[in-house]
Amino acid sequence: MSETTQAPLTTEEIVVNLGPQHPSTHGVMHFVVTIDGETIRECVPHIGYLHSSLEKIAETLRYEQFITNTDRFDYLNGLGNELCYVQAVERLLGIEPPPRTVFIRTLMAELKRISSHLVYLGCYGNDIGAMTVFLHAFREREPLMDMFEAVTGGRLLYNYLRIGGLRNDLPTGFTDQLHRFLDYLPRRLEEMNDLLTSNRIFIARTRGIGILTARQALSFGVTGPTLRGCGVPYDLRKLRPYAAYDQVEFDVPSFPEGDCLARHLVRMEEMNQSMRIIRQLMEKMPEGEIQADVPRRIKPEAGEVYERVESPRGELGCYLLSDGGAKPYRMHWRGPSFYNLQALPVMVRGGLLADFIATLGSLDPIAPDIDR
Amino acid sequence: MWAAICDIWQGGKSIIIGHTVTFRNFWRPKITDRYPHSKPEENWQPKPGYRGGFAQLKSDKEDRELRCIACNLCAQACPVGCIHIEGEGKGKERHPVAFYIDMGLCVFCHQCVEACPVDALTMTEEYEISRTSRAGLIRDLDELVAAGEGRQEVSRVV
Amino acid sequence: MASTLVKTILDVIHNWAEGLAQQWGIPHLFVSIAAWIAAFVFVIVLVLLMVLLAVYLERKVSGAIQSRLGPMRVGPIGLFQTPMDALKILTKEDIVPRDADKILHTAGPVIFFVTAVIGYVVIPWDRAAIAAQVVDLNIGVLFVIAVSSIGVLGIMAGGWGSNNKYALLGAMRAVAQMVSYEVALLLAIVCVVMQTGSLSLAGITADQGGSLLQWNLLRWWMWPALLLYIIASIGESKRIPFDIPEAESELVAGYHTEYSGMKFGFFFLGEYAHLFIIAVTGAILFLGGWHSPLPATMADPIPGFIWLMGKALAVILIMMWIRWTLPRLRVDQLMNFAWKGLVPLGFVAIAVTGLAIGLGLAGGGG
Repeated sequence: MSETTQAPLTTEEIVVNLGPQHPSTHGVMHFVVTIDGETIRECVPHIGYLHSSLEKIAETLRYEQFITNTDRFDYLNGLGNELCYVQAVERLLGIEPPPRTVFIRTLMAELKRISSHLVYLGCYGNDIGAMTVFLHAFREREPLMDMFEAVTGGRLLYNYLRIGGLRNDLPTGFTDQLHRFLDYLPRRLEEMNDLLTSNRIFIARTRGIGILTARQALSFGVTGPTLRGCGVPYDLRKLRPYAAYDQVEFDVPSFPEGDCLARHLVRMEEMNQSMRIIRQLMEKMPEGEIQADVPRRIKPEAGEVYERVESPRGELGCYLLSDGGAKPYRMHWRGPSFYNLQALPVMVRGGLLADFIATLGSLDPIAPDIDR
Repeated sequence: MWAAICDIWQGGKSIIIGHTVTFRNFWRPKITDRYPHSKPEENWQPKPGYRGGFAQLKSDKEDRELRCIACNLCAQACPVGCIHIEGEGKGKERHPVAFYIDMGLCVFCHQCVEACPVDALTMTEEYEISRTSRAGLIRDLDELVAAGEGRQEVSRVV
Repeated sequence: MASTLVKTILDVIHNWAEGLAQQWGIPHLFVSIAAWIAAFVFVIVLVLLMVLLAVYLERKVSGAIQSRLGPMRVGPIGLFQTPMDALKILTKEDIVPRDADKILHTAGPVIFFVTAVIGYVVIPWDRAAIAAQVVDLNIGVLFVIAVSSIGVLGIMAGGWGSNNKYALLGAMRAVAQMVSYEVALLLAIVCVVMQTGSLSLAGITADQGGSLLQWNLLRWWMWPALLLYIIASIGESKRIPFDIPEAESELVAGYHTEYSGMKFGFFFLGEYAHLFIIAVTGAILFLGGWHSPLPATMADPIPGFIWLMGKALAVILIMMWIRWTLPRLRVDQLMNFAWKGLVPLGFVAIAVTGLAIGLGLAGGGG
């Protein structure tokens, strides 16, 4: 026997830094994950890498100037963010936009929702390892981008909505373009469902993974498809209709399982519902002016307003505090990704490292939306 | 046992269906634009109202060269302050002697064009707006006028 | 015709070399050594060419499946893209992490590449008459599998020596996976060996000669083994859906996270060399090796060498098709699938083959 006694063989937990530069963090995020073998013991999200002090910048810009910045934090939902902001300012000013404007805004927000969910679908496929879905989803998104370009003049950063109106009316030929797209997309979605959603390996990777109960979800303030994937059919478009959502019929998909597959199915079904909404909007689209009378210098009276819309990721809120000047005294955004990310440590604890990626992807977080 | 067999059957079927999808896509036409080998004229044209570069439009009046009256409204409308103007003259005589747009700062929001009272400033369909230096990104009056040569209308979605 | 021509040329070269050696008084041993070196160079060049072709095909196939064009700019239809990438990788800086185990870090890619290449020496590229096989081992098929499984040591050395957590996790996954899938792969090979009664790759090829109907692919009792071989070989070559050692979205690049320059190139080459040898072995085991699918009565202008390459490329194309369709399995699902799905399937395959032999359908060999 040697004098040095061998220490008993032990296992050791190791700390892995996922990010800030990691292929599956959807932007710049950082997660400190403690793993025991492959099992996750603890996960701590570190945020702030994409902080752009948007709320402080807002205090230096006039109300109409800030619209251009709203495209930039949740870049997949630019028109939806603009809608939220413009509605907040309009409520502050007491302006009622013309009906055609309201319809076009709703239409654009729904198109943007489809576009955002397509990006989610592609990125999620990539996270799970099905790289072909990524390019197929982006291929289907391309006609949408062309439509946005024709309507707004930009492909990603639109600056299309104006206080009390829009930059311009729908261009000629847009209706045909849109109907062509609506006829073509369901077939392609079916194809992508064949390729990914119904695939046995995909189901094995997502069913029962990253479970969040409805109670946990509500206590974390989780909203959007993540909450609807927990069986809570909470959708602001239905519960507190804004814009033109009270004039269209649609269902709010919701699945009770609370796992990654449920969240995925919610998003896939939401695309179908969005197409339904768009068809109705196009049918009922009123003619008329697109710009309400707005004072030349926008100076709302002192007061505060909180406006919220349903973004593709959840409840997007904009709080505005006016001191009567041309610039907001304080602006605050409630970004859905930030609140949804809070629930991540609960969802991944006890799972495997691969489940962490699947769960993170199913939350569909947007890094600038978390940090702003 | 039966359930397990069904499960294997279903799983195998879903995987084979997935393969038929990729097989179909293998033969579909490819969507890649070989830019810059194939010029966008073949596949993609900037649409009217596209927000690319900038231009200053010429006046059709005889007594002045440019429409711009150096009123500074565009510079005030700009959220990032990338427009710098120096004007000369009073009243109807007023015209710009220097007009700079820093494309490195510009956020392409189109608000300056909408603010212009005389439809002098416009965005163009030019999409190759990158330059090899930061200084090159600052457009001066000559460049802006050259870009607007022959153009009458300001950018607008139609 | 062509084959006889090749044989004549080889004979002439050999005789010339022998004559030269006698004239200069060089011992016969050196001639043998020179012949061995020439054979090894031949193998290396062949491997590298096939790797370049496979990488190019992978890019083009994935592009086509994804509605892209793939490489198009370097050379006609992008043909020179892969050689240029290989040249680029040669010129890149070799970065060794400060706290890495320098010896293991270097040994990893070398072991991995060498073991992936060595297996090629027992591949019968063409009929034996023209000596298109470096060595005809009587346990050739076992040799291929045994040698390529040593590659795991290279992965483990690289993953451990990198002193990186991603690399370590990737290496551990790779070891677990390759050991498990080798079992399934061997069970599939056992079926073929039962059928032919020979462990020599040349013998297995010879058993499938004669006509197309003699191929193992068209013998129904070999189908379970074929299915098993396809699945297990994808697992063995660490490709999607079994690519968890590299799992890009989880482990960045897995065991070769900390590699750059030519060391990374060795891992990359080794991976495709490994893929190619598995495809060639598959072509020999199930697709009749260098035998032409044309009836024996017809004159065959294409040398067997080309037939074997074509068959191997077909196998590779199928593996690419699978790769660009399926998502990735999770590590525990992967192990479950190997031990609870593939190994029982292997026993079924053996039973089916045995039954066919018992019924007198199959050859049963020795």
